[in-house]
Amino acid sequence: MNKERAVNVAAVVVGVMLLVVAGFYFAESASSLPSWLPGHEAGSSHHHVKHGIAALVVALGLGVLVWFRTGPQTRAAAGR
Amino acid sequence: MKIDYLQSIALGALQGVSELFPISSLGHSVVLPRLLGWDIHQNDDYFLAFLVATHLATALVLFGFFFRDWMRILAGLGRSLRDRGIAPGDTDARLGWLLVVGTIPAGLIGLLLEHPLRSLFASPRTAALFLIVNGGLLLGAERLRRRAPERPDGDPDARIADELTWRSAVGVGTAQALALIPGISRSGAAMGGGLLAGLSNEDAARYAFLLATPIIGAAAILKLPDLLGPAGDGVRGPALVGAVFAAGSAYLAVRFLMGYLRTHTLTPFGIYCLLAGAAATVAIAVT
Repeated sequence: MNKERAVNVAAVVVGVMLLVVAGFYFAESASSLPSWLPGHEAGSSHHHVKHGIAALVVALGLGVLVWFRTGPQTRAAAGR
Repeated sequence: MKIDYLQSIALGALQGVSELFPISSLGHSVVLPRLLGWDIHQNDDYFLAFLVATHLATALVLFGFFFRDWMRILAGLGRSLRDRGIAPGDTDARLGWLLVVGTIPAGLIGLLLEHPLRSLFASPRTAALFLIVNGGLLLGAERLRRRAPERPDGDPDARIADELTWRSAVGVGTAQALALIPGISRSGAAMGGGLLAGLSNEDAARYAFLLATPIIGAAAILKLPDLLGPAGDGVRGPALVGAVFAAGSAYLAVRFLMGYLRTHTLTPFGIYCLLAGAAATVAIAVT
């Protein structure tokens, strides 16, 4: 796998993971979040919606990045 | 009543002007009630609900003022997504992505740190001190600027797209996050960053206003439930009045600034912040 492709695959994997994390933040209260996620707080019923939006924004950003990196202009430039 | 109509008019008009002038709206809205002896505090739920309305009004005015630019930028973003790349010479698409790249760091920092920073720095005394810092930043940006404050010819959006690099767009966008500290101006940080990145005063102001629109609008929309929920009880009437005055003053402010900064610098605003911050610090200390 060349470097370009590896970066794209990594961005997709991280983006999908962030989408899952965003889903956790939107759906679960702070006490129900996995303990390794920022915002986990035992006994709290608060939903960390802002954390979810932040994760979603970064995931979308990575998606757009990969969309451009795999586009015809980039491929043409890389092939030159 | 938590905020009376006279206070809502004053705070709304102040918000509209100080959000766009590089003098910190948050700093002024923390310091002014304290100086006037109003029982309004930055972290009160009803005051935050009131600010949602005035910020939303300001964002709508900015969007309306630059409506034609936004339509071109959005069309450029759509073109680049369709073509999966920014075509050479497509300055609208490039400017659009520069704005996106600049908005993401400020938005993320705002989402994650807005509450802790507001809690930490929301005292009038701190806001007055940071107003002085803001003045220093504006004067420093003018001193360190890369380009003379001339009025260039041609399409300003194309000039901005040509001049800014992706790195400087991230830098200018991130600088906006300093405005989470009451006393530091969002537009001032963005304008100062634009000057350091090589923009003229007029172009730096234009870019700062374009950059501010999605951030202010998104923050207001995100907090709209506060205004519509229990925190907004007893505030919605004054908030509506405040929003109308914020919209009016924001329109006058952006119109004035886009003309003024063609031929002038940020120096008067820097001096104002130094003097106002020092005067407010003394006034707060002796009262």
